[in-house]
Amino acid sequence: MRERETDVAVVGAGGDGPALAWRLGQLGVDVTILEAGPFYGNEEWPAPNDAPGGEASGDPADLSGTLYDEQFTSREGDMNDPVTGTLRWGPADDDRPPWQRTVPQQALIAQLSGVGGTTQHYYANHPRAFVTAVDDQPQWPIDYADLVPYYQLLEEVHPVEPAPTTPKAEVFFEGARRAGYDLNEGLNVTEAGYRPFPNAISQPDERLRRDGGDGDEYRYPDYEGDTLAMHEHQGGPHPREAPFRERARRSSNVSLVPRAFDTGNVEIRPNAFATDVLTDDGPGSVEATGVEFRDTWAATTERLYADVVVLAAGCVETPRLWLNSGLPDDGWVGRGLTTHWFDFVTGIFEPGAVESLVGQPAVEPHQGQAAGSRLDVPGVGAVAVNTFAPGVTAMAVYAAGRGEWAFDRDTAGEPWDSCGRLAGRELKERMADYRRTLTLICHTDDRPRRDNRVVVDESTEDEHGPVPLVEWEPHPDDDARRDELARRGAELLNEAGAAHVHRTDAAPILLHMQSSMAMGKVLDAGGEAKNVDRLFVADHSALANGVGGANPTHTGQALALRTAERVAARYFGGVDDPVGDPG
Amino acid sequence: MSYTRGTFAALVDALVPETPGLASRGPEHVPGGLEAGLEEAVVERVNSFVETRGLASLAGDAVPLAPAVAALLDAAAAELLVRRRAEAGLRSPDDAFAGGPFCRLSREDRLRALRLLEDDGVVAALSERFDAASLGTVQFLASSLPILVEFVYYSETTADDGEHSLGWRQADYPGPSDGYPVLLGYEVESFEENDY
Ligand SMILES: Cc1cc2nc3c(=O)[nH]c(=O)nc-3n(C[C@H](O)[C@H](O)[C@H](O)COP(=O)(O)OP(=O)(O)OC[C@H]3O[C@@H](n4cnc5c(N)ncnc54)[C@H](O)[C@@H]3O)c2cc1C
Repeated sequence: MRERETDVAVVGAGGDGPALAWRLGQLGVDVTILEAGPFYGNEEWPAPNDAPGGEASGDPADLSGTLYDEQFTSREGDMNDPVTGTLRWGPADDDRPPWQRTVPQQALIAQLSGVGGTTQHYYANHPRAFVTAVDDQPQWPIDYADLVPYYQLLEEVHPVEPAPTTPKAEVFFEGARRAGYDLNEGLNVTEAGYRPFPNAISQPDERLRRDGGDGDEYRYPDYEGDTLAMHEHQGGPHPREAPFRERARRSSNVSLVPRAFDTGNVEIRPNAFATDVLTDDGPGSVEATGVEFRDTWAATTERLYADVVVLAAGCVETPRLWLNSGLPDDGWVGRGLTTHWFDFVTGIFEPGAVESLVGQPAVEPHQGQAAGSRLDVPGVGAVAVNTFAPGVTAMAVYAAGRGEWAFDRDTAGEPWDSCGRLAGRELKERMADYRRTLTLICHTDDRPRRDNRVVVDESTEDEHGPVPLVEWEPHPDDDARRDELARRGAELLNEAGAAHVHRTDAAPILLHMQSSMAMGKVLDAGGEAKNVDRLFVADHSALANGVGGANPTHTGQALALRTAERVAARYFGGVDDPVGDPG
Repeated sequence: MSYTRGTFAALVDALVPETPGLASRGPEHVPGGLEAGLEEAVVERVNSFVETRGLASLAGDAVPLAPAVAALLDAAAAELLVRRRAEAGLRSPDDAFAGGPFCRLSREDRLRALRLLEDDGVVAALSERFDAASLGTVQFLASSLPILVEFVYYSETTADDGEHSLGWRQADYPGPSDGYPVLLGYEVESFEENDY
């Protein structure tokens, strides 16, 4: 068996792993990231879905905008098909099926493999946690103030900026104003109010003003920053022809991986699925010593030994790897999963109503950023504009409901005109109204509960061992919060003049996942496992709760930066110039 | 037409049917999933959900799950009928359909049958009683079907040229773009580091 050594072995180059690796690299620590999926936009892998390609990459010169343009076509079937898409949870080899999970209930899980992880198709919404979710809910062992310096660093480097107003955003803002909400202008949210999203998307060129467009091709180098093409879900590769690291949507592969490579101390090995955390059992304590992994092309097993191991495989695979490695379970491993208990409310507008608000007859959901405006409701959650291409719209808004079909439901007395899954003529009529549609997502402040969990399904194995089993059910209190958000969303749409409002009553959609290896439960306040030395967790599973329903990646990455400093402080001789308070 | 394909045709037809009643919105709104060969695309995907392991992998990369799903749809249709939950009577199946009970139900009853697999039907009741992950997986699979069908239909997947699918045309979606001049300004110029 091939064996190698490094200072820190990180499992997973998703949303958060690269943030930690970048900070450790800056501190002079050598890091190897093992990533289960492919590396898109990298010259070491010119045909990442067809051939094994190179072994590892750590040189910024390997990153290729040209390959990224070829691989990310912006078509939703190509990119987002959960079975065959370029962006899916599965091996790089696209002749093979996706990787399996046991989900014994109605639910949809959206996680991606590959460098960038699930941020490859995220909308780059980067709000901070709600202050009260960290300081007043009981789970966090650290304070909101401890996170702020790391938030600030990310806001500067990604950068995170107010999303531009576009026609669909203005429809939302006007609905919010008429419903009586004030504008929230602060980064630290404690009161209900509406605002543009703080987004990790570089702001667009001023020439993209409406009516200003000169019919150009909106491509680099003529155009830098966002081009308002709304292809975040398809990988967000705009502006076309730009260097890899200058794409506007700042997923971790585009924003943080190049910075990590710049340090000269970080390399990523894609197509490497970690299957075992190696340990030494000392007297009274267990200590992590490395990781065993499987090359997904060659099917060979290798070992990477390290002084510290960091798990950043996401909320489902981190607990699976932990449990399959036989590490100690204090009763909270994989438990306490939060998901923001999503729902959608959608408004369809008559041309006259939209014209009077924004001077054009249609909402045009496919133009502008996918999610650029939101309503914060601390203690309850948030309601945000979420717009998709048609296939994803049909799938999420009209097909992902639970319970009875819409044709078997009565909505008399409700603020929505229809509710539930659509099919048949009704579906086709709604989809024919696509360009007059504004969809809002409800992000519920659901609370961690022990029964909502990731365990392993011992009866189902794939080549990486027993597969994860995921179960999530809402508590009645979470249902009540979600209902409140759906009502507020419907009210806002009605105030804006929607002719028809539809509520999805979604089944569990697991796409924001947090807190399945929570700090304060499984981890100490530095992100290190309470029961295993030299083993840290730095992905969203480390979050102590659902951060109030704010999109989680800003907090996940902030915490990962903080954990990097704790790793260096505890095992690599300290941090000279810490970003935050060296606790 | 095989049993599997014919049963999936009945599923596709229930979710995205031909709609002559929408002709007033334009002729492009009439055809549905069968016209686009959607059942084929869905069968292909269901047959690549799950990777084979061990000896079975000699026969191919993936478990051919679609015939089993077709049989489940028929079982659910039978349950709907036995429990007198069907609201319309039985009909002779469309030419494109197979001959099982699922294919003989009205469109809405086919969807009610699918619901029995998710919730409330025999399989769902057993999985509650035994807390059995493998039975629960049937619920997961059943609820994935509308999601898969509606996604594939409204994406570009069924288009010959990779763009002008029926779904995209019916949604009047122009397809991928380099960008749009739609900037109206900024509601907030920059966020403040406010007290909390
Ligand atoms: C459509 C969509 C839009 C979203 N938009 C937003 C948004 O706007 N803002 C926001 O905050 N959040 C958003 N999210 C959620 C966000 O993308 C995730 O919360 C975030 O990426 C999670 O980060 P993570 O590091 O915990 O896990 P991931 O990003 O999922 O990364 C985990 C990585 O680990 C790898 N891995 C897993 N197991 C192994 C193993 N055993 N060995 C090696 N590697 C492994 C995976 O392949 C993956 O790359 C969105 C999600 C979706 C699906």
